[in-house]
Amino acid sequence: MKKNTFFLIVGCIALALLLIFWYSVEIHAPLLIEIAFFVGIALVYLAKRKVTDIINDERDVKITEQATMRTMQVFWVVFCAFSIGAVMEILRVPAFPRQAIGTRPPDILPPRMMGYVQLGLLCLMIFLYVGFRIYYAKKYGDFEIDEE
Amino acid sequence: MKNKIKIFRAMHNLTQENLAQAIGVNRQTILAIEKEKYIPSLDLAFKISRYFGVNIEEVFIYDEKTPTLMPA
Repeated sequence: MKKNTFFLIVGCIALALLLIFWYSVEIHAPLLIEIAFFVGIALVYLAKRKVTDIINDERDVKITEQATMRTMQVFWVVFCAFSIGAVMEILRVPAFPRQAIGTRPPDILPPRMMGYVQLGLLCLMIFLYVGFRIYYAKKYGDFEIDEE
Repeated sequence: MKNKIKIFRAMHNLTQENLAQAIGVNRQTILAIEKEKYIPSLDLAFKISRYFGVNIEEVFIYDEKTPTLMPA
């Protein structure tokens, strides 16, 4: 398979996932998009294995490794900070023993907000990865000008 | 790590693309090595020097100042 065909397939899968996402929001079925996402990514990986004109040499692998490692180094701190906040929601106990029965202390992080924060985290991870990838690609000579 | 890939390429009348195809890497990798932006693995260094039919020391010059562990 040619490289351009692969990119076309990835584009089609992304479009299909977007439509499924919209539909699952409409019918309020998060499981649908979750399963579709797994299937979509599996299809991308399968298609990538069929590509013949992409050479992944050791420098590419090194750039990917370094970018992934740095992304994880930053991301896990932010993710853990958020997760600790979420765990506090689970472990929450009333602050005062005389608190009236039935009243709840205010939510530290309401469930709806958790979705937004997770979306933000996802975007952060993508931006971090792209940023680090550009940095390491530049460091290992990707944007060097050839005088040939 | 300094290298003489460019000289050997000129001697063999090879383009970066030719050399890259012959040893199975991207042209950008050859360019990065020539510009000393990337230190190749031992495996790739051997492949390059074998391709030119010379010893590894003739193509790559080890510089004491070059860090062996590349800081990120």
